[in-house]
Amino acid sequence: MTRTHSKTCTQSILALATPFLLAAVLPLHAAESVGAKYEKITEIEGTVVDLLCEVAKKCLPNCGEGKRQLAIKMSDGKLLVAAKNPELFAGAVADLAPLCGKVIKADGILFENPKMPIYMVQGIKTDPKAAEYTPLEGFTKAWTARNKAAAGASDEWFRNDPVVKAQIDATGPLGRPDLKPKAP
Amino acid sequence: MKQFKKRHLLAATTFAMIGMAGVAQAQNARVQVTGEIIDTFCSVSEIMFSAGSAHYQCAVWCAVGGIPVSIKAKDGQIYMILRIDEDESNVANPKLVKIQAHEVSVDGELIKRDGVNYLLVTKVANDKGLVSLTHDEHGIVPFGN
Repeated sequence: MTRTHSKTCTQSILALATPFLLAAVLPLHAAESVGAKYEKITEIEGTVVDLLCEVAKKCLPNCGEGKRQLAIKMSDGKLLVAAKNPELFAGAVADLAPLCGKVIKADGILFENPKMPIYMVQGIKTDPKAAEYTPLEGFTKAWTARNKAAAGASDEWFRNDPVVKAQIDATGPLGRPDLKPKAP
Repeated sequence: MKQFKKRHLLAATTFAMIGMAGVAQAQNARVQVTGEIIDTFCSVSEIMFSAGSAHYQCAVWCAVGGIPVSIKAKDGQIYMILRIDEDESNVANPKLVKIQAHEVSVDGELIKRDGVNYLLVTKVANDKGLVSLTHDEHGIVPFGN
């Protein structure tokens, strides 16, 4: 074996092994960037809680069963508002409400805007020992189950939702009937 | 001497209780906030232009999609709404969907915790409707006209 051949072999092995070596030493995140100013991909662990119950002691059974905004309460007592899931224009309540009171691990994006920190939950583990995060897609599943007649026209729930349609029909897409969009 | 210690202990306890009450009062205050009803995610993440008529449709989608709704005050402060009137449901609440991008003045209770201003609105005192006309400059955001 020549010295050049040996060097090439070593380089190839290193190239193949590097991702595995990195995976062994770096934390694995399922979360993906959305390219926003304040974003920081962050894993957190905590209990799913009802925000209104936590901050104002106005509590309902099962975190309001989908009618209350939720947060993840960490071991130091700090609340992080679970404002978003990865689906288009959708919050995280449909995914997290069934886990009310349970400890979860979450992978997602912390938006550290000094005016208000919020968290986009992209994946969760209900078993901390689970190898991978389960991606959140509860909103679309729940919406499709509620809107069987409307679903199917397109895969964009927000263009088919009856509440959205009624509102936009009443106001127009700019929020006032007298405002008209410019022709494209 | 024993009596003296008791008096000091009583005085210290009283001051501590007054101090705690002061903090509690400062963190739960009656306020009036004037500003625009906004979609919290787009505004806080600054992922896109998110004010007025240009962003109205997106704000409706996000409110119906269950993303928290907030008020952005004139000074830029953001207040997340957890109650509107007597209604304590705050996910896709129709009252909040209907006033997206409106300029409003609301009375309510402000609760500050972990860097977030939470607002329990008791009354929408004034609703000027949608007055921030941003679509001429920005078009419809996202997806365009």
